[in-house]
Amino acid sequence: MIPDFQRVEVSDTTEVADSTYVLSFPEPESAAGLEPGQFCMISPELHPSDVFLPRPFSYYRVVDSQTIQILFRTYGRATRWMASLVPGNRIGVFGPLGNTFTIAPHARRAVLVAGGIGLPPLVLLAERLAALDDPPEIDLLYGEHTGDRIIDIKASLPAGVHLHLCTEDGAVGLKGLVTDLFRPIIAECNSPPAVYTCGPNAMMAALAGLLAPDSVAVFEASTEENMACGKGICKSCVIPMVTQDGTVRYRYCCTDGPVFNGFEVKWPHS
Amino acid sequence: MAAQLTVHCLGMSFQNPVLVASGTFGYGDEYYDIMPFSRLGGLVTKTVTAAPRQGNPPPRIVETDCGMLNSIGLANVGLKVFIREKLPWILQHAAQARVVVNFAGFSVDEFVEVGTRLGQCRGIDALEVNLGCPNIKAGYIHFGADAAVVREVIGGLRRNVRLPLAAKLSPNVTDIAALAETAVQAGADAVSLINTLPGMKIDVNIRKPVIGMAFGGLSGPAIRPVGVACVYKVYQRLQEMGADVPIIGIGGIGSGSDALEYIMAGARLVQVGTANFVHPQAASLVLDELAGYCEKEGVSDISDLVGLAHEQ
Repeated sequence: MIPDFQRVEVSDTTEVADSTYVLSFPEPESAAGLEPGQFCMISPELHPSDVFLPRPFSYYRVVDSQTIQILFRTYGRATRWMASLVPGNRIGVFGPLGNTFTIAPHARRAVLVAGGIGLPPLVLLAERLAALDDPPEIDLLYGEHTGDRIIDIKASLPAGVHLHLCTEDGAVGLKGLVTDLFRPIIAECNSPPAVYTCGPNAMMAALAGLLAPDSVAVFEASTEENMACGKGICKSCVIPMVTQDGTVRYRYCCTDGPVFNGFEVKWPHS
Repeated sequence: MAAQLTVHCLGMSFQNPVLVASGTFGYGDEYYDIMPFSRLGGLVTKTVTAAPRQGNPPPRIVETDCGMLNSIGLANVGLKVFIREKLPWILQHAAQARVVVNFAGFSVDEFVEVGTRLGQCRGIDALEVNLGCPNIKAGYIHFGADAAVVREVIGGLRRNVRLPLAAKLSPNVTDIAALAETAVQAGADAVSLINTLPGMKIDVNIRKPVIGMAFGGLSGPAIRPVGVACVYKVYQRLQEMGADVPIIGIGGIGSGSDALEYIMAGARLVQVGTANFVHPQAASLVLDELAGYCEKEGVSDISDLVGLAHEQ
Protein backbone atom coordinates (compact mmCIF):
# COMPACT_ATOMS: atom_id res chain seq x y z
CA MET A 1 0.00 0.00 0.00
CA ILE A 2 1.37 3.42 -0.99
CA PRO A 3 1.67 5.72 2.03
CA ASP A 4 -0.34 8.89 1.89
CA PHE A 5 -0.25 12.18 3.78
CA GLN A 6 -3.65 13.27 5.00
CA ARG A 7 -5.12 15.83 7.31
CA VAL A 8 -7.76 14.19 9.45
CA GLU A 9 -9.98 15.23 12.32
CA VAL A 10 -9.36 13.55 15.64
CA SER A 11 -12.45 11.63 16.71
CA ASP A 12 -11.39 10.85 20.26
CA THR A 13 -8.58 11.03 22.82
CA THR A 14 -9.07 8.89 25.93
CA GLU A 15 -6.77 8.34 28.89
CA VAL A 16 -6.65 4.58 29.41
CA ALA A 17 -3.97 4.34 32.10
CA ASP A 18 -1.60 6.69 33.90
CA SER A 19 -0.18 9.12 31.27
CA THR A 20 -1.36 6.71 28.56
CA TYR A 21 -3.87 7.59 25.87
CA VAL A 22 -5.68 6.16 22.89
CA LEU A 23 -5.94 8.57 19.97
CA SER A 24 -8.63 7.72 17.40
CA PHE A 25 -9.04 9.19 13.94
CA PRO A 26 -10.90 8.12 10.83
CA GLU A 27 -8.86 6.89 7.91
CA PRO A 28 -11.00 4.47 5.93
CA GLU A 29 -8.64 4.36 2.97
CA SER A 30 -5.64 2.88 4.73
CA ALA A 31 -7.36 1.24 7.71
CA ALA A 32 -8.23 -1.93 5.86
CA GLY A 33 -4.73 -2.54 4.55
CA LEU A 34 -2.68 -1.97 7.69
CA GLU A 35 -0.24 -4.63 8.82
CA PRO A 36 0.89 -5.15 12.42
CA GLY A 37 4.23 -3.45 13.02
CA GLN A 38 3.58 -0.69 10.50
CA PHE A 39 3.49 2.86 11.73
CA CYS A 40 2.42 6.36 10.82
CA MET A 41 3.91 9.80 11.38
CA ILE A 42 1.61 12.10 13.34
CA SER A 43 2.13 15.83 12.92
CA PRO A 44 0.52 19.07 13.96
CA GLU A 45 -0.41 21.81 11.48
CA LEU A 46 2.44 23.21 9.42
CA HIS A 47 3.03 26.29 11.57
CA PRO A 48 2.61 25.14 15.14
CA SER A 49 3.77 26.99 18.18
CA ASP A 50 5.83 24.37 19.91
CA VAL A 51 5.70 20.98 18.19
CA PHE A 52 7.52 20.94 14.91
CA LEU A 53 8.44 17.51 13.55
CA PRO A 54 6.07 14.58 13.11
CA ARG A 55 6.48 11.59 15.44
CA PRO A 56 6.26 7.90 14.57
CA PHE A 57 3.62 5.68 16.21
CA SER A 58 2.83 2.02 15.59
CA TYR A 59 -0.76 1.23 14.74
CA TYR A 60 -2.61 -0.13 17.75
CA ARG A 61 -6.07 -1.06 16.54
CA VAL A 62 -8.39 -0.71 13.61
CA VAL A 63 -12.04 -0.28 14.60
CA ASP A 64 -14.77 -1.29 12.12
CA SER A 65 -12.26 -1.02 9.22
CA GLN A 66 -12.74 2.77 9.48
CA THR A 67 -11.04 4.20 12.50
CA ILE A 68 -7.38 3.94 13.37
CA GLN A 69 -6.20 3.95 16.96
CA ILE A 70 -2.78 4.91 18.26
CA LEU A 71 -1.72 4.14 21.82
CA PHE A 72 0.79 6.57 23.28
CA ARG A 73 2.26 7.67 26.57
CA THR A 74 3.12 11.28 27.41
CA TYR A 75 6.86 11.74 27.50
CA GLY A 76 7.78 15.02 25.81
CA ARG A 77 6.02 17.95 24.27
CA ALA A 78 4.71 16.16 21.20
CA THR A 79 2.94 13.49 23.21
CA ARG A 80 1.64 16.16 25.62
CA TRP A 81 0.25 18.02 22.60
CA MET A 82 -1.37 14.79 21.41
CA ALA A 83 -2.92 14.20 24.83
CA SER A 84 -4.52 17.65 24.61
CA LEU A 85 -6.27 16.92 21.30
CA VAL A 86 -10.04 17.03 21.34
CA PRO A 87 -12.54 15.78 18.75
CA GLY A 88 -12.44 18.00 15.69
CA ASN A 89 -8.77 19.01 16.07
CA ARG A 90 -6.81 18.39 12.91
CA ILE A 91 -3.64 16.34 12.68
CA GLY A 92 -1.44 15.24 9.82
CA VAL A 93 -1.11 11.49 9.32
CA PHE A 94 1.48 9.98 6.99
CA GLY A 95 1.26 6.25 6.54
CA PRO A 96 1.20 3.32 6.47
CA LEU A 97 4.99 3.12 6.71
CA GLY A 98 7.47 0.37 7.46
CA ASN A 99 7.36 -3.41 7.36
CA THR A 100 5.46 -6.03 9.29
CA PHE A 101 6.07 -9.17 11.32
CA THR A 102 6.69 -12.51 9.65
CA ILE A 103 3.94 -15.04 10.24
CA ALA A 104 5.69 -18.38 10.77
CA PRO A 105 3.27 -20.92 9.27
CA HIS A 106 4.69 -23.93 11.10
CA ALA A 107 4.94 -22.41 14.56
CA ARG A 108 2.18 -23.85 16.70
CA ARG A 109 2.75 -21.28 19.40
CA ALA A 110 3.29 -17.53 19.21
CA VAL A 111 4.75 -15.71 22.18
CA LEU A 112 4.33 -11.93 22.06
CA VAL A 113 6.38 -9.98 24.59
CA ALA A 114 5.43 -6.35 25.25
CA GLY A 115 7.21 -3.96 27.56
CA GLY A 116 5.36 -0.77 28.49
CA ILE A 117 4.40 1.37 25.54
CA GLY A 118 5.77 -1.32 23.21
CA LEU A 119 2.34 -2.94 23.50
CA PRO A 120 0.47 -1.50 20.45
CA PRO A 121 1.96 -3.44 17.51
CA LEU A 122 1.68 -6.69 19.45
CA VAL A 123 -2.02 -6.20 20.15
CA LEU A 124 -2.61 -5.75 16.42
CA LEU A 125 -0.43 -8.79 15.74
CA ALA A 126 -2.33 -10.90 18.31
CA GLU A 127 -5.58 -9.98 16.55
CA ARG A 128 -4.19 -10.96 13.16
CA LEU A 129 -2.75 -14.23 14.42
CA ALA A 130 -6.02 -15.14 16.13
CA ALA A 131 -7.89 -14.51 12.87
CA LEU A 132 -5.77 -17.00 10.89
CA ASP A 133 -7.56 -20.09 9.56
CA ASP A 134 -5.42 -22.32 11.70
CA PRO A 135 -4.23 -20.02 14.47
CA PRO A 136 -1.32 -20.93 16.73
CA GLU A 137 -1.66 -20.86 20.48
CA ILE A 138 -1.07 -17.20 21.36
CA ASP A 139 0.48 -15.87 24.56
CA LEU A 140 0.69 -12.12 25.08
CA LEU A 141 3.13 -11.19 27.84
CA TYR A 142 2.84 -7.60 28.98
CA GLY A 143 4.79 -5.82 31.69
CA GLU A 144 4.84 -2.33 33.15
CA HIS A 145 6.84 -0.59 35.88
CA THR A 146 3.76 0.13 37.96
CA GLY A 147 0.20 -1.13 38.18
CA ASP A 148 -1.34 2.25 37.35
CA ARG A 149 0.27 2.04 33.91
CA ILE A 150 -1.28 -1.30 32.97
CA ILE A 151 -3.70 -0.86 30.10
CA ASP A 152 -6.75 -3.04 30.57
CA ILE A 153 -6.84 -4.93 27.29
CA LYS A 154 -8.12 -8.28 28.51
CA ALA A 155 -11.76 -7.78 27.55
CA SER A 156 -10.92 -6.54 24.06
CA LEU A 157 -8.47 -9.28 23.07
CA PRO A 158 -9.74 -12.00 20.74
CA ALA A 159 -10.75 -15.29 22.36
CA GLY A 160 -7.82 -17.65 22.57
CA VAL A 161 -5.16 -15.04 23.32
CA HIS A 162 -3.68 -15.83 26.73
CA LEU A 163 -2.73 -12.63 28.52
CA HIS A 164 0.04 -12.72 31.14
CA LEU A 165 0.71 -9.58 33.15
CA CYS A 166 3.56 -8.44 35.35
CA THR A 167 4.57 -5.23 37.10
CA GLU A 168 7.75 -4.27 38.90
CA ASP A 169 5.75 -2.94 41.85
CA GLY A 170 3.66 -6.12 41.96
CA ALA A 171 0.35 -4.20 41.88
CA VAL A 172 -0.93 -6.18 38.90
CA GLY A 173 0.06 -9.71 37.87
CA LEU A 174 3.39 -11.25 38.64
CA LYS A 175 5.82 -9.06 40.57
CA GLY A 176 8.82 -8.89 38.31
CA LEU A 177 9.92 -8.43 34.71
CA VAL A 178 8.47 -9.82 31.48
CA THR A 179 11.52 -12.03 31.24
CA ASP A 180 10.25 -13.73 34.42
CA LEU A 181 6.99 -14.45 32.59
CA PHE A 182 8.87 -15.48 29.49
CA ARG A 183 11.22 -18.15 30.86
CA PRO A 184 8.60 -20.73 32.01
CA ILE A 185 6.50 -20.26 28.87
CA ILE A 186 9.46 -20.84 26.56
CA ALA A 187 10.53 -23.83 28.67
CA GLU A 188 7.18 -25.56 28.16
CA CYS A 189 7.12 -25.14 24.37
CA ASN A 190 7.23 -28.53 22.63
CA SER A 191 8.20 -27.13 19.27
CA PRO A 192 9.99 -23.94 18.24
CA PRO A 193 7.62 -21.00 18.88
CA ALA A 194 7.42 -17.71 17.02
CA VAL A 195 8.58 -14.94 19.34
CA TYR A 196 7.71 -11.30 18.71
CA THR A 197 8.67 -8.39 20.90
CA CYS A 198 8.43 -4.63 21.27
CA GLY A 199 9.57 -2.61 24.25
CA PRO A 200 12.63 -1.06 25.84
CA ASN A 201 15.91 -2.07 24.19
CA ALA A 202 17.19 -3.59 27.45
CA MET A 203 14.16 -5.87 27.57
CA MET A 204 14.49 -6.95 23.95
CA ALA A 205 18.23 -7.51 24.45
CA ALA A 206 17.47 -9.71 27.47
CA LEU A 207 15.05 -11.81 25.39
CA ALA A 208 17.67 -12.20 22.67
CA GLY A 209 20.03 -13.47 25.37
CA LEU A 210 17.48 -16.08 26.51
CA LEU A 211 16.94 -17.53 23.04
CA ALA A 212 19.01 -19.58 20.64
CA PRO A 213 18.33 -19.14 16.92
CA ASP A 214 17.51 -22.83 16.43
CA SER A 215 15.05 -22.87 19.35
CA VAL A 216 12.54 -20.54 17.71
CA ALA A 217 10.72 -20.36 14.38
CA VAL A 218 11.25 -16.60 14.28
CA PHE A 219 12.38 -13.98 16.77
CA GLU A 220 11.37 -10.52 15.62
CA ALA A 221 11.72 -7.20 17.39
CA SER A 222 9.96 -3.95 16.56
CA THR A 223 12.50 -1.15 17.06
CA GLU A 224 12.39 2.60 17.48
CA GLU A 225 14.78 5.48 16.85
CA ASN A 226 14.38 9.24 16.45
CA MET A 227 13.24 9.98 12.92
CA ALA A 228 12.03 13.01 10.98
CA CYS A 229 10.54 11.74 7.73
CA GLY A 230 9.53 8.06 8.11
CA LYS A 231 10.40 7.42 4.48
CA GLY A 232 14.17 6.91 4.24
CA ILE A 233 15.06 10.50 3.43
CA CYS A 234 16.39 12.10 6.58
CA LYS A 235 18.72 9.15 7.26
CA SER A 236 18.29 9.56 11.01
CA CYS A 237 16.78 6.38 12.38
CA VAL A 238 19.65 3.94 12.10
CA ILE A 239 19.54 0.60 13.91
CA PRO A 240 22.91 -1.16 14.24
CA MET A 241 22.82 -4.71 12.90
CA VAL A 242 25.47 -7.41 13.23
CA THR A 243 26.24 -8.88 9.82
CA GLN A 244 27.36 -12.45 9.15
CA ASP A 245 31.02 -11.46 9.04
CA GLY A 246 30.66 -9.89 12.48
CA THR A 247 30.81 -6.25 11.38
CA VAL A 248 28.14 -3.75 12.38
CA ARG A 249 26.05 -2.13 9.66
CA TYR A 250 23.33 0.45 10.00
CA ARG A 251 19.87 -0.21 8.69
CA TYR A 252 17.00 2.25 8.72
CA CYS A 253 14.21 1.76 11.23
CA CYS A 254 11.67 3.45 8.93
CA THR A 255 12.20 1.69 5.60
CA ASP A 256 14.16 -1.48 6.47
CA GLY A 257 12.15 -1.95 9.69
CA PRO A 258 10.82 -1.20 12.19
CA VAL A 259 10.61 -5.00 12.57
CA PHE A 260 13.97 -6.79 12.44
CA ASN A 261 15.32 -10.24 13.20
CA GLY A 262 16.00 -9.88 16.92
CA PHE A 263 19.16 -11.95 16.69
CA GLU A 264 20.69 -9.57 14.16
CA VAL A 265 20.12 -6.32 16.02
CA LYS A 266 23.23 -5.10 17.85
CA TRP A 267 21.51 -4.36 21.13
CA PRO A 268 23.05 -1.70 23.38
CA HIS A 269 25.56 -3.23 25.80
CA SER A 270 25.28 -6.64 24.12
CA MET B 1 -3.25 37.28 -15.28
CA ALA B 2 -1.17 34.68 -13.52
CA ALA B 3 2.23 35.94 -12.39
CA GLN B 4 5.39 34.95 -14.18
CA LEU B 5 7.10 32.53 -11.82
CA THR B 6 9.85 31.46 -14.19
CA VAL B 7 13.28 32.53 -12.99
CA HIS B 8 16.15 33.00 -15.41
CA CYS B 9 19.56 32.52 -13.88
CA LEU B 10 22.68 30.37 -14.14
CA GLY B 11 22.22 30.42 -17.91
CA MET B 12 18.93 28.52 -17.76
CA SER B 13 15.35 28.95 -16.72
CA PHE B 14 13.74 27.50 -13.61
CA GLN B 15 10.00 26.99 -14.02
CA ASN B 16 9.58 28.53 -10.57
CA PRO B 17 11.88 29.64 -7.75
CA VAL B 18 11.09 26.79 -5.33
CA LEU B 19 13.57 23.94 -4.98
CA VAL B 20 13.92 21.26 -2.32
CA ALA B 21 17.07 21.38 -0.20
CA SER B 22 19.80 18.81 -0.01
CA GLY B 23 19.24 16.01 2.48
CA THR B 24 15.53 16.71 2.86
CA PHE B 25 14.24 15.09 -0.31
CA GLY B 26 16.61 12.17 -0.80
CA TYR B 27 17.03 11.30 -4.45
CA GLY B 28 13.47 12.25 -5.35
CA ASP B 29 12.07 8.72 -5.41
CA GLU B 30 11.15 8.34 -1.73
CA TYR B 31 8.37 10.94 -1.76
CA TYR B 32 7.58 10.74 -5.48
CA ASP B 33 4.18 9.04 -5.12
CA ILE B 34 2.82 11.84 -2.97
CA MET B 35 5.08 14.71 -4.02
CA PRO B 36 6.39 14.58 -7.59
CA PHE B 37 9.21 17.12 -7.62
CA SER B 38 8.72 17.67 -11.35
CA ARG B 39 6.36 20.53 -10.40
CA LEU B 40 9.13 22.40 -8.63
CA GLY B 41 11.91 24.64 -9.76
CA GLY B 42 14.33 21.89 -8.99
CA LEU B 43 15.59 19.06 -6.82
CA VAL B 44 18.83 19.34 -4.90
CA THR B 45 20.08 15.86 -4.09
CA LYS B 46 21.34 14.49 -0.82
CA THR B 47 25.08 15.21 -0.58
CA VAL B 48 27.11 12.76 -2.65
CA THR B 49 30.63 11.80 -1.53
CA ALA B 50 33.29 9.77 -3.31
CA ALA B 51 32.80 6.66 -1.17
CA PRO B 52 29.53 5.35 0.29
CA ARG B 53 29.07 6.40 3.90
CA GLN B 54 27.21 4.70 6.76
CA GLY B 55 27.04 7.93 8.73
CA ASN B 56 27.14 8.70 12.42
CA PRO B 57 25.93 6.66 15.42
CA PRO B 58 22.35 7.37 16.56
CA PRO B 59 20.54 9.33 17.81
CA ARG B 60 21.08 11.46 14.74
CA ILE B 61 18.27 13.94 15.14
CA VAL B 62 16.28 15.64 17.84
CA GLU B 63 13.66 18.34 17.78
CA THR B 64 14.45 21.65 19.46
CA ASP B 65 12.36 24.81 19.78
CA CYS B 66 11.04 25.51 16.28
CA GLY B 67 13.73 23.43 14.68
CA MET B 68 15.72 20.30 14.50
CA LEU B 69 19.30 19.29 15.23
CA ASN B 70 20.88 16.67 13.02
CA SER B 71 24.16 14.91 12.77
CA ILE B 72 23.71 12.39 9.98
CA GLY B 73 27.35 12.24 8.97
CA LEU B 74 26.68 12.53 5.22
CA ALA B 75 25.27 9.00 4.98
CA ASN B 76 24.90 8.35 1.25
CA VAL B 77 25.26 5.71 -1.43
CA GLY B 78 28.54 7.09 -2.79
CA LEU B 79 29.41 8.54 -6.19
CA LYS B 80 29.40 5.29 -8.19
CA VAL B 81 25.98 4.07 -7.07
CA PHE B 82 24.60 7.59 -7.34
CA ILE B 83 25.64 7.85 -10.98
CA ARG B 84 24.61 4.30 -11.84
CA GLU B 85 21.30 4.00 -9.96
CA LYS B 86 20.01 7.26 -8.54
CA LEU B 87 20.80 9.84 -11.22
CA PRO B 88 19.09 8.00 -14.12
CA TRP B 89 15.86 7.75 -12.11
CA ILE B 90 16.00 11.43 -11.19
CA LEU B 91 16.59 12.48 -14.80
CA GLN B 92 13.79 10.26 -16.00
CA HIS B 93 11.31 11.86 -13.60
CA ALA B 94 12.49 15.48 -13.42
CA ALA B 95 10.51 16.74 -16.44
CA GLN B 96 10.96 20.55 -16.33
CA ALA B 97 12.46 20.59 -12.83
CA ARG B 98 16.17 21.35 -12.70
CA VAL B 99 18.49 18.72 -11.26
CA VAL B 100 21.10 20.10 -8.89
CA VAL B 101 23.56 17.63 -7.42
CA ASN B 102 24.97 18.51 -4.01
CA PHE B 103 28.35 16.98 -3.22
CA ALA B 104 31.23 17.15 -0.76
CA GLY B 105 34.76 15.95 -0.26
CA PHE B 106 36.97 15.50 2.73
CA SER B 107 39.95 17.18 1.10
CA VAL B 108 40.34 19.80 -1.60
CA ASP B 109 41.44 17.11 -4.04
CA GLU B 110 38.40 14.99 -3.26
CA PHE B 111 36.07 17.94 -3.86
CA VAL B 112 37.65 18.49 -7.27
CA GLU B 113 37.63 14.80 -8.09
CA VAL B 114 33.94 14.28 -7.23
CA GLY B 115 32.88 17.53 -8.89
CA THR B 116 34.82 16.71 -12.04
CA ARG B 117 33.23 13.27 -12.28
CA LEU B 118 29.73 14.72 -11.77
CA GLY B 119 30.52 17.39 -14.35
CA GLN B 120 30.91 14.63 -16.95
CA CYS B 121 27.41 13.25 -16.32
CA ARG B 122 24.70 14.12 -18.80
CA GLY B 123 21.54 15.75 -17.56
CA ILE B 124 22.78 17.45 -14.41
CA ASP B 125 21.86 21.15 -14.55
CA ALA B 126 24.07 22.49 -11.77
CA LEU B 127 26.26 21.45 -8.87
CA GLU B 128 25.96 22.65 -5.29
CA VAL B 129 29.19 22.50 -3.32
CA ASN B 130 28.64 21.54 0.32
CA LEU B 131 31.35 23.54 2.06
CA GLY B 132 29.92 22.71 5.47
CA CYS B 133 31.59 19.33 5.81
CA PRO B 134 34.70 18.78 7.91
CA ASN B 135 38.16 19.02 6.36
CA ILE B 136 39.84 15.90 7.70
CA LYS B 137 43.31 17.08 6.70
CA ALA B 138 42.85 20.41 8.47
CA GLY B 139 41.66 19.24 11.87
CA TYR B 140 38.00 18.83 10.90
CA ILE B 141 37.40 22.55 10.51
CA HIS B 142 34.71 22.90 7.90
CA PHE B 143 35.78 24.03 4.45
CA GLY B 144 33.53 27.05 4.41
CA ALA B 145 35.16 28.64 7.45
CA ASP B 146 38.40 29.62 5.76
CA ALA B 147 38.49 31.97 2.78
CA ALA B 148 41.74 30.48 1.47
CA VAL B 149 40.22 27.00 1.45
CA VAL B 150 37.01 28.23 -0.18
CA ARG B 151 39.14 29.80 -2.90
CA GLU B 152 41.07 26.57 -3.36
CA VAL B 153 37.97 24.33 -3.55
CA ILE B 154 35.88 26.58 -5.79
CA GLY B 155 38.88 27.56 -7.91
CA GLY B 156 39.88 23.91 -8.36
CA LEU B 157 36.36 22.99 -9.38
CA ARG B 158 36.05 25.96 -11.70
CA ARG B 159 39.12 24.87 -13.66
CA ASN B 160 37.66 21.38 -14.14
CA VAL B 161 33.88 21.75 -14.27
CA ARG B 162 31.75 23.54 -16.82
CA LEU B 163 28.43 23.14 -15.02
CA PRO B 164 27.14 26.08 -12.98
CA LEU B 165 28.55 25.91 -9.44
CA ALA B 166 26.65 27.05 -6.37
CA ALA B 167 28.76 27.43 -3.22
CA LYS B 168 26.69 26.45 -0.18
CA LEU B 169 28.02 28.43 2.75
CA SER B 170 27.82 27.95 6.48
CA PRO B 171 26.53 30.85 8.59
CA ASN B 172 28.94 29.92 11.37
CA VAL B 173 31.58 32.42 10.29
CA THR B 174 32.54 35.95 11.26
CA ASP B 175 31.74 37.53 7.91
CA ILE B 176 29.66 35.51 5.49
CA ALA B 177 29.72 38.32 2.92
CA ALA B 178 33.51 38.08 2.71
CA LEU B 179 33.32 34.33 2.13
CA ALA B 180 30.62 34.76 -0.50
CA GLU B 181 32.81 37.32 -2.22
CA THR B 182 35.73 34.90 -2.15
CA ALA B 183 33.60 32.11 -3.59
CA VAL B 184 32.37 34.34 -6.41
CA GLN B 185 35.87 35.59 -7.19
CA ALA B 186 37.04 31.99 -7.32
CA GLY B 187 34.40 31.20 -9.90
CA ALA B 188 31.15 30.31 -8.14
CA ASP B 189 28.10 31.05 -10.28
CA ALA B 190 25.73 31.20 -7.30
CA VAL B 191 25.80 31.16 -3.53
CA SER B 192 23.43 29.01 -1.46
CA LEU B 193 22.69 30.52 1.95
CA ILE B 194 22.56 29.02 4.55
CA ASN B 195 23.69 25.64 5.74
CA THR B 196 22.79 24.55 9.31
CA LEU B 197 24.08 26.24 12.46
CA PRO B 198 26.01 24.17 15.02
CA GLY B 199 24.00 23.38 18.12
CA MET B 200 23.55 21.00 21.01
CA LYS B 201 20.73 19.69 23.15
CA ILE B 202 21.40 18.05 26.47
CA ASP B 203 19.04 15.50 28.00
CA VAL B 204 19.07 16.57 31.64
CA ASN B 205 17.80 13.16 32.74
CA ILE B 206 20.79 11.30 31.39
CA ARG B 207 23.07 14.38 31.70
CA LYS B 208 24.44 13.93 28.22
CA PRO B 209 23.98 15.45 24.76
CA VAL B 210 21.03 13.84 22.97
CA ILE B 211 22.80 13.59 19.61
CA GLY B 212 25.20 10.65 19.31
CA MET B 213 27.99 12.90 18.05
CA ALA B 214 27.12 15.53 20.71
CA PHE B 215 26.86 18.42 18.21
CA GLY B 216 24.30 18.73 15.47
CA GLY B 217 23.32 21.18 12.75
CA LEU B 218 20.30 23.32 13.58
CA SER B 219 17.67 23.77 10.87
CA GLY B 220 14.02 24.73 10.63
CA PRO B 221 12.09 27.93 11.41
CA ALA B 222 14.47 28.72 14.30
CA ILE B 223 17.23 29.68 11.86
CA ARG B 224 15.15 31.64 9.35
CA PRO B 225 16.09 35.10 10.70
CA VAL B 226 19.77 34.11 10.50
CA GLY B 227 19.35 32.93 6.93
CA VAL B 228 17.44 36.01 5.85
CA ALA B 229 20.10 38.26 7.41
CA CYS B 230 22.87 36.35 5.62
CA VAL B 231 21.10 36.66 2.27
CA TYR B 232 20.55 40.37 2.89
CA LYS B 233 24.23 40.95 3.74
CA VAL B 234 25.55 38.92 0.83
CA TYR B 235 23.15 40.55 -1.63
CA GLN B 236 24.46 43.95 -0.56
CA ARG B 237 28.07 42.84 -1.00
CA LEU B 238 27.41 41.34 -4.43
CA GLN B 239 25.72 44.57 -5.51
CA GLU B 240 28.75 46.55 -4.35
CA MET B 241 30.97 44.18 -6.32
CA GLY B 242 28.76 44.63 -9.35
CA ALA B 243 28.50 40.84 -9.55
CA ASP B 244 25.35 39.45 -11.17
CA VAL B 245 25.41 36.29 -9.09
CA PRO B 246 22.17 34.71 -7.91
CA ILE B 247 21.62 33.87 -4.26
CA ILE B 248 19.72 30.72 -3.33
CA GLY B 249 17.94 31.26 0.00
CA ILE B 250 17.69 28.34 2.43
CA GLY B 251 16.78 28.05 6.10
CA GLY B 252 13.42 27.53 7.74
CA ILE B 253 11.21 28.04 4.70
CA GLY B 254 7.82 26.41 5.17
CA SER B 255 5.39 28.93 3.71
CA GLY B 256 5.05 31.41 0.90
CA SER B 257 5.76 34.32 3.20
CA ASP B 258 8.92 32.63 4.49
CA ALA B 259 10.09 32.30 0.88
CA LEU B 260 9.16 35.94 0.21
CA GLU B 261 11.36 37.08 3.08
CA TYR B 262 14.34 35.45 1.40
CA ILE B 263 13.39 36.76 -2.02
CA MET B 264 12.97 40.31 -0.74
CA ALA B 265 16.31 40.00 1.06
CA GLY B 266 17.88 39.18 -2.30
CA ALA B 267 17.41 35.49 -3.14
CA ARG B 268 16.43 34.62 -6.69
CA LEU B 269 15.74 30.99 -5.85
CA VAL B 270 14.77 29.36 -2.56
CA GLN B 271 15.02 25.86 -1.15
CA VAL B 272 12.53 24.21 1.17
CA GLY B 273 14.34 21.92 3.60
CA THR B 274 13.30 20.66 7.01
CA ALA B 275 9.64 21.51 6.27
CA ASN B 276 9.61 18.54 3.87
CA PHE B 277 9.75 16.30 6.93
CA VAL B 278 6.81 18.09 8.53
CA HIS B 279 4.73 17.81 5.38
CA PRO B 280 5.98 15.94 2.31
CA GLN B 281 4.13 18.45 0.10
CA ALA B 282 5.56 21.50 1.87
CA ALA B 283 7.45 22.74 -1.20
CA SER B 284 4.30 22.51 -3.28
CA LEU B 285 2.41 24.54 -0.68
CA VAL B 286 5.17 27.17 -0.64
CA LEU B 287 4.90 27.42 -4.41
CA ASP B 288 1.09 27.78 -4.32
CA GLU B 289 1.32 30.46 -1.66
CA LEU B 290 3.95 32.36 -3.65
CA ALA B 291 1.74 32.27 -6.73
CA GLY B 292 -1.23 33.37 -4.62
CA TYR B 293 0.73 36.31 -3.21
CA CYS B 294 1.79 37.48 -6.64
CA GLU B 295 -1.73 37.30 -7.95
CA LYS B 296 -3.19 39.13 -4.97
CA GLU B 297 -0.53 41.83 -4.99
CA GLY B 298 -0.53 42.24 -8.76
CA VAL B 299 3.09 41.14 -9.13
CA SER B 300 3.57 40.25 -12.78
CA ASP B 301 7.04 38.71 -12.44
CA ILE B 302 8.32 37.17 -9.24
CA SER B 303 11.84 38.31 -10.06
CA ASP B 304 10.64 41.90 -9.55
CA LEU B 305 10.53 41.13 -5.83
CA VAL B 306 14.19 40.14 -5.56
CA GLY B 307 16.05 42.43 -3.17
CA LEU B 308 13.07 44.75 -2.63
CA ALA B 309 13.79 44.98 1.10
CA HIS B 310 16.96 46.92 0.27
CA GLU B 311 15.13 49.82 -1.36
CA GLN B 312 14.85 52.95 0.73
